[in-house]
Amino acid sequence: MAEPAGKRSTAAGTTAGGPGRVLVAVYGVFTLAAGSRAVVQLATRFSEAPVAYLLSAFSAVVYGVATVALARGGRRTALAAISVELAGVLVVGTLSLADRAAFPDETVWSGYGQGYLFVPLVLPVVGLWWLRRSRRAQGAPTDEPPSSS
Amino acid sequence: MVAVTVVCALLVLAGLASTLARRRIGLLHLWGAALLEVLLVVQTVLAVVALVRGERPEETATFLGYLAGIVLVPVAGALWARSEPTRWAGTVLAVAGATVAVMVWRLLQLWEATGG
Repeated sequence: MAEPAGKRSTAAGTTAGGPGRVLVAVYGVFTLAAGSRAVVQLATRFSEAPVAYLLSAFSAVVYGVATVALARGGRRTALAAISVELAGVLVVGTLSLADRAAFPDETVWSGYGQGYLFVPLVLPVVGLWWLRRSRRAQGAPTDEPPSSS
Repeated sequence: MVAVTVVCALLVLAGLASTLARRRIGLLHLWGAALLEVLLVVQTVLAVVALVRGERPEETATFLGYLAGIVLVPVAGALWARSEPTRWAGTVLAVAGATVAVMVWRLLQLWEATGG
């Protein structure tokens, strides 16, 4: 593990410190994006594509839970939410490409999030990686290589 | 609109620069966010005036959603970045700046869909 040493002084171990803070910010943005999209869709034309719009709402809830859990350090909740998110973007992405008729209108996860520069696809992977990494920093100092500097 | 985009770009650059330089954010970043917020408020007022006068964008509800959401982003970003003592605060502001840039672009798109 050739980790660059030197940023140990950051709030390592919490999920909302250092790079985690950026992650929370991005999750916050997506909560806003998915949530407002869902509200508009459900409020103005629910009958057109109820499945897609309910999925929008569901994804907004997932993003919201992940945001709060990461911000407050709830690892288990964050892990669950991000896992659901990853599964969601993969399943919805695949289905939306395989069967366009079933998804007449866009959700955040359609086409693996291509309407959002594929950030929805990358985000859960980064999130899971961050959860792993920040836990190592918090829990097990054995993982740290004996630093010679 | 152009001014907003320029300030967004500057905020993104300044935020990323401070992260790369491993520095915390300074007053410059906060002023940048403040300037962006002022521009957004002006833009909102202009848009509301136009709406009151009877101009209607294609999807009024979506438009209003973006309009309301966009003014919150710099404030939330600045608050969230200020309480971060590490170099990553700059990236948080960069995220906020990029978000505003995308949202402004969408707003403009919706507005121009009026067709006059």
